[in-house]
Amino acid sequence: MSQQVAVAEPTEALKLSHEVTLLALVTIMCIPLQLMATDLGIGQIIGGLTVLAGIGVAGVVIARLLPMLKLPSVAWVSIVGIAATIPGTPWAGAVLRWVENIDFLALTPPCLAYAAMAITAREISIARTSGWKILIVGVLVLLGTYIGSVLIAELMLGVS
Amino acid sequence: MRLQELLSPRLHAAALIIVVLAQLIGIVDIPVGLGSILLLPLLFAFAFGLLTNSNIVGRTVGLLKTRHITAASSCVVVAIIPFIAKFGTTVGPALGDIIAAGPALLLQELGNLFTIVFALPVALWVLKMGRESVGATFSVAREPSLAIVADRYGLKSPEGAGVMGVYVVGTLVGTIVFSVLASGLASTDVFDPRALAMACGVGSGSMMAACSGALAAAVPAQADTLIALAGASNLLTYATGMYASLFIALPLVEWIYRRFSPEARRGKAMT
Repeated sequence: MSQQVAVAEPTEALKLSHEVTLLALVTIMCIPLQLMATDLGIGQIIGGLTVLAGIGVAGVVIARLLPMLKLPSVAWVSIVGIAATIPGTPWAGAVLRWVENIDFLALTPPCLAYAAMAITAREISIARTSGWKILIVGVLVLLGTYIGSVLIAELMLGVS
Repeated sequence: MRLQELLSPRLHAAALIIVVLAQLIGIVDIPVGLGSILLLPLLFAFAFGLLTNSNIVGRTVGLLKTRHITAASSCVVVAIIPFIAKFGTTVGPALGDIIAAGPALLLQELGNLFTIVFALPVALWVLKMGRESVGATFSVAREPSLAIVADRYGLKSPEGAGVMGVYVVGTLVGTIVFSVLASGLASTDVFDPRALAMACGVGSGSMMAACSGALAAAVPAQADTLIALAGASNLLTYATGMYASLFIALPLVEWIYRRFSPEARRGKAMT
């Protein structure tokens, strides 16, 4: 196997202002998708997506304030989303009213579209040099992880 | 990178057209044997995205050139944020269910170890791979695993080539494999959909999106619970998955390699 495999290009860290600008852009892109996927009115859609974007900004800011915890910002976004909707908190009802009916499947195409657009020449060349063997091993790794987790979860759900 | 480059009109206009087209196609249900496979808008978005990438379709036809492609990679991490936020808001109200599923949720992280059962034997004995197989099969090879290998062996080592190779394969086909597996297994009714959902969280964010999306579409009655479980599992993956890889899987793969691999045994016979 070729030894000239290059180090993964770390995606350049985005400035906070740039990240927020891009988030606004993606949020706008989600409006037509929600119009197609749900029966919600445009006001409800914009409101719901804005609340989600707000949760996102909070998560991204916390990740920058607490770099020593080394959690990726998506983990913080997820934690803020949980904290915003824990039953019994004064704000959970209001947050949920806005985001509940936003279709989550229709939130996914932008990310996947950019992911496909972002495949670099280097990634293609790694796939070429590593060749078909690594493709087989890679698919087995994905299968193994998924099926292994399903089996353990199934077993544990049966026990408890 | 400058904001102007990040906001390239060509990139984002292409993205907008692609996602609207993908959503218009909607969910396509393909019956296969006993079950069926669901093709979701996110897969169409991925496929259309590939068609614009000049690294895939060639310089002359590709709409997006290197500078757009670099900008796109910054957009991926941002574009997943609304989706992850929505995930968080489904986990909050379902905390009761999640705590009830706690032991299952925690232990299924060890599913990572099954990469060793499925992939390592094939790498060693069928494909006759060397040290690459250690890097390739000790984990599902997302970013934390790259960090582990970079730290221990360096990414230019054979182990590094292995982990990078599987990382790239995961990026290229991971979403497809996960969504096809999840919808296929859900349609056979053999497994508890909650178990299928928890397993969705083991990979990257976009793999989880594809996987839980396919599940929610296959079992709409339980969609909210399933999405919440997948989200909780993905969060745990950040917290615990890396330790399972580092302290259990990697030492185990190393041990198996030293003990059983044809190449290591040959080395021993010579000394």
